Amino acid sequence: MKEEEILLDVQHLSHIFPITRKISVRAVDDVSFKIRRGEIFGLVGESGSGKSTVARCVMNIYKPSGGRIIYKGVDVCDSRQFRKNKRMLQTTRQIIFQDSDSSLDQRMKVCDIISEPMRIQHMTPPRGTMRAEAEFQMHYVGLNADYLDKYPSELSGGQRQRVAIARALVMEPELLVADEPVAALDVSIQAQIVNLFRHLQKEHGFSFLFIAHDLAMVEFLCDRVGVMYRGKLVETAPVKELFANPKHPYTKRLLSAIPIPNPRIERQKGL
Amino acid sequence: MRRFLTFLISIFLLSAVVFYMSRLAPGDPLVSYYGDRVEKMSPAEREWAEEKLGLDDPLSIQYIRWLENVFHGDFGISYKYKMDVLEVIRGRIGNTLILGGVGFLLIFVFSLLLGIFCAWHEDRMIDRVICKAGTIISCIPEFWLSLVLILVFSVNLQWLPSGGAYTIGREGDAGDRIWHLILPMIIVVINHLWYYAYMIRNKLLEEVRADYVLLARSKGLKKRNIMFRHCLQNIIPSYLSIMAISVPHILGGTYIIETVFSYPGLGTLSYESARYQDYNLLMVLCIMSGILVIVCNMIAQTINERIDPRVKMNELVCTMDITSEITGVAGMPDAADTAEVTRV
Amino acid sequence: MLEVKNLSVSFYTPKGEVEAVRNVSFTLKAGEVLAVVGESGCGKSVLCKSIMKLLPSSAKIKSGSICINGVDITGYGEQEMRKMRGKIFSMIFQDPMTALNPTMPVGAQIAEAVKVHRPRISKAELKCQVIELMALVGIDRPEERMKLYPYHFSGGMRQRSVMAIALAGYPDILFADEPTTALDVTIQGQILDLLRDIQRRLKTATVFVTHDLGVVARVADRVAVMYAGKIVEIGTADEIFYDPRHPYTWGLMRSLPAFSKGKDTLYTIPGMPPTMINPPKGDAFACRNEYALAIDYEEEPPMFRVTDTHYAATWLLDERAPKIESPVAGLYR
Repeated sequence: MKEEEILLDVQHLSHIFPITRKISVRAVDDVSFKIRRGEIFGLVGESGSGKSTVARCVMNIYKPSGGRIIYKGVDVCDSRQFRKNKRMLQTTRQIIFQDSDSSLDQRMKVCDIISEPMRIQHMTPPRGTMRAEAEFQMHYVGLNADYLDKYPSELSGGQRQRVAIARALVMEPELLVADEPVAALDVSIQAQIVNLFRHLQKEHGFSFLFIAHDLAMVEFLCDRVGVMYRGKLVETAPVKELFANPKHPYTKRLLSAIPIPNPRIERQKGL
Repeated sequence: MRRFLTFLISIFLLSAVVFYMSRLAPGDPLVSYYGDRVEKMSPAEREWAEEKLGLDDPLSIQYIRWLENVFHGDFGISYKYKMDVLEVIRGRIGNTLILGGVGFLLIFVFSLLLGIFCAWHEDRMIDRVICKAGTIISCIPEFWLSLVLILVFSVNLQWLPSGGAYTIGREGDAGDRIWHLILPMIIVVINHLWYYAYMIRNKLLEEVRADYVLLARSKGLKKRNIMFRHCLQNIIPSYLSIMAISVPHILGGTYIIETVFSYPGLGTLSYESARYQDYNLLMVLCIMSGILVIVCNMIAQTINERIDPRVKMNELVCTMDITSEITGVAGMPDAADTAEVTRV
Repeated sequence: MLEVKNLSVSFYTPKGEVEAVRNVSFTLKAGEVLAVVGESGCGKSVLCKSIMKLLPSSAKIKSGSICINGVDITGYGEQEMRKMRGKIFSMIFQDPMTALNPTMPVGAQIAEAVKVHRPRISKAELKCQVIELMALVGIDRPEERMKLYPYHFSGGMRQRSVMAIALAGYPDILFADEPTTALDVTIQGQILDLLRDIQRRLKTATVFVTHDLGVVARVADRVAVMYAGKIVEIGTADEIFYDPRHPYTWGLMRSLPAFSKGKDTLYTIPGMPPTMINPPKGDAFACRNEYALAIDYEEEPPMFRVTDTHYAATWLLDERAPKIESPVAGLYR
């Protein structure tokens, strides 16, 4: 891997949640991985495996207990380097959460939600007005302009998630982190959103950290995959290789647990 | 420990605020001590009287002197009754505790029963009627309701006495006291009952809509069992904590009712002390109420902490050895045992 | 065993009548697993709850009949239903997190279910029974664990506890409403195996509601595909997977990520499912159906017979309809 290709380099990341003075939980334990420019990196694991904690550390939401996160050559955990590059870090990294119901402000109109990042950063909208910019982004994620003046509660789950994506894209990010963006949605809507991600990534060329527990979606969307188990990254591999030839026993176990929609194969499994 | 310190500081601040506020209010404290004689006093006599009661010094000095005395256990004398303040209160507090305490218990029990009753008959006619009636009654100001009841039961029907705690000359007669308590007690209960009953009703219905009730029903449990053994048990802790907070609220209600019924309790006493600038008495009464509020809030907070899921979370970690085994895939080697596999 | 005929269930809401289940008929034989598949909101869990009469009071059975062992229970009241619940049929739910009472030890909740059917059971016997049930659903060291509260348990363990409760009366029919959707994939596998295993041992007939075709393939003997409150296709698992006839079943199959492997986009069925207030005239699926015929917009298709076990409600099976090659025919070759 060439140095300049790498956008995000996570080195020996650890995060410990203290619960009482004596007891703590090691949510992330010595995790290292790299994401190249324009790559879709999937992080899979079961609930409680620490994948969301990794995403939050990458986005500076949690302060890691150990290790370094280098983004475009800047150590984001170092407070001096963070302050120096604050604007760059805040604009070029964006996150999408699982629950768009609570991650969008209920009292703001869609148009304001989408343009808010620009207002915070005092950017002049490239398409004239904030509203025009919001409209453009809406169109981009497959919503028509009628929704501009609606409130999040008036939208369906899939539409809200599209709004969350538009809000992230308005800053033209170089790294997009999505923490289980489709887990709360209906299956048919999941597919639409995953299609949208794939399409947007091709157009924009941003790097994408996609966190999910649904292996089928990861297989379809991602270029490389990391498998997490109990806070540790047990295996990283290009997606085809991982699914064709899993090396770690946990990955094998995980892959064989997915029910295949083929009764004959499944029946043999049970015996 | 920290909580106790906060408690002391709040009481101190409260006393200071009450002290200054009561003295800023217009009126002549001498009136309560000397009565009508004040009007005939010469300026010299007035000065002498003020000096005797310590009213001529600047406010801050008066306050410090008051504090000093309090630390020695001396809360001063009541101007009106010319007795030690604590003595005056001791004579009245029993009446208020009976009215407030019994009233509180009645509210507690009746609202629970009414709440369960309404939740049981959810959305049927009887529930709707009770809901509407309850809302209307709880909106009626208590003093007005008191006056109406006095008019009906004492003046027109002459069934019940209109005020006081006992018929003069029959102080020791328990029956007579209860006789006098009926009207004020009804007002106390009616006024707060619906608020808490409605809360119970809604909390119960919230529980009834939970998934576990569906499971309980699908296993063939009776509605009564589900209601009492599952739902009620789950709302009792939060009900207790809310009731703890509302002790001062209910007691505050009795103050007004006491005044209307000229029932000789702390309520009438506070009213009089404020009216006649009986500073020492007013101070002690205010601080007592303050302590009550703070203590009740603390009790509520403790109850709440007991049922806080975060507390349970700690327990969860203590039983981690069990759970980690449960979550772990059977026969699965621990991640630490096998080296990480990376292919780029 | 269970026979449902022309069942229609509606919710009466302030917005109007929601026709959640429309004219559904099916049978369930002793000891078989019938999977009910469909998107969320298609009425599949309402169907289960209406058979057990667990629906809120705003829902009404409009027409049709439900027979169990030849006895018509459609008109049964709460009293009679209660006696049947747990014993004749029982249910497990999607979210084991909320299906257990959080303030009651798990053992006590199971014991309660046992007591319902044997009110005069002795304490020692009751404990034995609870331990036996916990062992049955694969909970290790049941004696220690019966005193624990649900929040001590992981999701998989909770779902096992729920199963123990549902099985306490050894019911003839078990309704499983998306029992593995909220679980992790490895736990899901364990629970599915357990369900299958118990179902074989106790000969419990199971109605398994899910949206995941993979899960269906794993557990089902027969499959019913539901769309907009109706069963559009029903048949054995092999018939549904290897020879589906309804365009909606084709759509479900094509939406599987495995089907889109190596392609640029995942297939999605165009459009949205119709609202169940005033469902459209004709076939409810017509406007999303690329193979829709003119008659689909006019008249609802009846159930066409494919084989003795396989029926599908689409006009494509009418002899006058053009012959269309199934788009998913190549999936399993």
